[in-house]
Amino acid sequence: MIRLDHVSFNYPAQGATVRDLSFHIEKGEFVAVLGANGAGKTTTMKLIDGLIKPTEGKVVIGGKDTAAARVSERARQVGFLFQNPDRQICKNTVRDEILFGLCSVRKEDGEDTLRKRADEVLSDFGFSGDEEPFSLSRGQRQRVALASILAVEPDVLLLDEPTTGLDYRECCHIMDRVARMNREKGVTVVMVCHDMEVVLDYARRALVMANGQLLADGPVRTVFRDAELAEKASILPPQMIGLSLRLGAGFEAADTAEALTEIIVSKGGIPV
Amino acid sequence: MRDLFQYVPGTSLLHRLNPVTKLLLTVVICVAAFITDRLIFLLGLLALDLLIGFIAGVPKKTVNILKGLLRIALFLFILQALLTRKGTPVFWIVTDTGLLTAGKVVLRLMVVCMPLALVLAVTKINDLANALVQVLHVPYPYAFTITTAIRFIPQFLSEMDDIMEAQTARGVEFDAAKGFRKLGMILPLCAPLLISSVRRSEQTAVAAEVRGFHLRTAVSGYKQYPFQWIDLGAVLFCCALIAAAILL
Amino acid sequence: MIDIQDLTFTYKDEPAPALSGISLTVTDGAFLGIIGPAGAGKTTLIRAVSGVIPHHYTGDYYGSVRVNGLDTVDTPLTDLSRLVGMVFQDVDSQIISSVVEDELLYGLENFGVPREEIPSRLEFALDRVGIADLRDRTIASLSGGQRQKVAIASVIALRPRVLVLDEPTGELDPRSSRQIFSLLKALNREYGITVVVVEQKIMLLCEFADMLAVLDQGKIVRQGKTREVLARSDELEALGVNCPRVTLLTRLLSERLGKSLPVSVSLDEAEKLVRGLMQ
Repeated sequence: MIRLDHVSFNYPAQGATVRDLSFHIEKGEFVAVLGANGAGKTTTMKLIDGLIKPTEGKVVIGGKDTAAARVSERARQVGFLFQNPDRQICKNTVRDEILFGLCSVRKEDGEDTLRKRADEVLSDFGFSGDEEPFSLSRGQRQRVALASILAVEPDVLLLDEPTTGLDYRECCHIMDRVARMNREKGVTVVMVCHDMEVVLDYARRALVMANGQLLADGPVRTVFRDAELAEKASILPPQMIGLSLRLGAGFEAADTAEALTEIIVSKGGIPV
Repeated sequence: MRDLFQYVPGTSLLHRLNPVTKLLLTVVICVAAFITDRLIFLLGLLALDLLIGFIAGVPKKTVNILKGLLRIALFLFILQALLTRKGTPVFWIVTDTGLLTAGKVVLRLMVVCMPLALVLAVTKINDLANALVQVLHVPYPYAFTITTAIRFIPQFLSEMDDIMEAQTARGVEFDAAKGFRKLGMILPLCAPLLISSVRRSEQTAVAAEVRGFHLRTAVSGYKQYPFQWIDLGAVLFCCALIAAAILL
Repeated sequence: MIDIQDLTFTYKDEPAPALSGISLTVTDGAFLGIIGPAGAGKTTLIRAVSGVIPHHYTGDYYGSVRVNGLDTVDTPLTDLSRLVGMVFQDVDSQIISSVVEDELLYGLENFGVPREEIPSRLEFALDRVGIADLRDRTIASLSGGQRQKVAIASVIALRPRVLVLDEPTGELDPRSSRQIFSLLKALNREYGITVVVVEQKIMLLCEFADMLAVLDQGKIVRQGKTREVLARSDELEALGVNCPRVTLLTRLLSERLGKSLPVSVSLDEAEKLVRGLMQ
């Protein structure tokens, strides 16, 4: 679905922000991109969508080289949810906002079909459609942004820190919705996220970046258990994995509080 | 475009000049450009602008500003040349007087705009405001408004870029459209941008207020901006420039 | 240090109150964390403590807020801000200068700090926050985490007795977020600065704050020592507030073992607890 071959990118004023990046993401995967601020995560996401073109190497998404096609033509296939929903929202009602996205990529479907599709999405997300986006909370605006992207039914979903600034409940709303699209519709998800608990709960594979390079690529659980890697990439593992690492032998399998409880009970703590 | 108004750190002669002197130099160049009526003098002033840019150690930026101005200048030149009726025709409806006036108009525009952009490249915006308040006794709220507005421009532009990027990603054809069609697509996006800008400027006002905005007076500045010998030199140069503009 | 009595506040032109019947006492030198869902009134509470409400944002105001004995309604905002340093949610709108040093100077100059004292104050703030090397950098060239530190340094330089912060780690990665909180804790311990911080990252908050206040729909629904508030983690979850996983672990273990275990709020405590159980 997504393939990067020896991709490098320099912003004109700065040095290389991404260097010799190669990876391949299959259809239906749920991938998290991890790393410190400034590691090149957002640049990588923009490269995948073709918003910026590689200075070296090749990015292929859905069988097409991003250098060869326009981003706006790809919007039907690839949805990009930014950290700040206000960049995306430009209409006065939620319905218009969703229709706006639909109209710009699915014009040929005709207005009636699109209106019907918009209504479907509205009821699915629990919006009436007449809300003014700018009077909603940040979390709700992020849901509006997500709704208008999912309305188009893309094959790939790119998320750049989708839960930043949201409270726990809003965060769950967004992530559960994304997870459902991934599970039920086989949508490929690539996500940049600073909340490691969210990464552990939702993503299956992790790409770890530092200084514009790929440090590691593997299952989320394996990556989090690599203490040396965590140090290099300035990431902190989720609490339960951190705890099981500290406890050492016998606790390797425990990633969740439930699993840890089971191990502790079976090992020593005497149940009544 | 985004870093047009950005300060470029340095220790050049121009960096070391008093901010007020720099403003004076800017104003003098503008005045000279309007006093003179000779094409050759205007060209000389343009060369001076470029020289200033190079001395200040920002040659790349200077050239970029010039390039940007040339685009606007070309448009104005054609318009002016077509609209002037006086003089003898050179070809079609374009007259020699038309070409000359058009040339002067666009040269003036470039001569005037360049130092305005350059002064911000070699002066920290805070120094400019502080010096205005301390030396010229401009009321602080005015100085604050101006500096905030100037600081705001690059932020606004970068936000505009971000918004266009986000819209392109959802299928709005910013990457295919050009000229007026692109402008037509940008305009509807200005509403959300303005809303967030107003929100932001209100926050900035509060941030200034809780750090003693209302207590600030002409003597509040920690840094002093004394006039030095190089400032005297610059002032003499300014006088000479004005004299030359009048006499030549 | 901070004494809020029965505070109800409605923003002008808003139908419903943003805060209703808030009573909260924060002792001198405390580290209070405020948490709650979006729209619960966290930012409003911070604004009321710093005096920005009612001096800048007006509306219907009932009850009283006292900081160090001063009533925020009667005390001019500039006097309050000598006492309370405020760090905003959106750092970029808070920073008013283009160079780091100027940003720190701004408040010092305005509050009339004597000229000879300014260099030492500048160095103190830069060193303490760990950004001495950034002194001459332009703000535009800094990363988000560095800007956040500049914002904190510019407030620290003014030597406030109280520091209020609105989601100071919003856009930072986990390691930078920890650095910010460690810094706040150090300022709190070493100089006795009272810290009030709104934060969504519950794990950080629980590890560093001594006190927690949980807000929901403009009301304080829980307040007390961090451990005591977390002891009812199931109730917090019902309110839509996440709990650290170590707290969840303690709860699960207590249920399975049928005895009440001390609530752990950090990894260190959880490790100690489990090791104790294993013996």
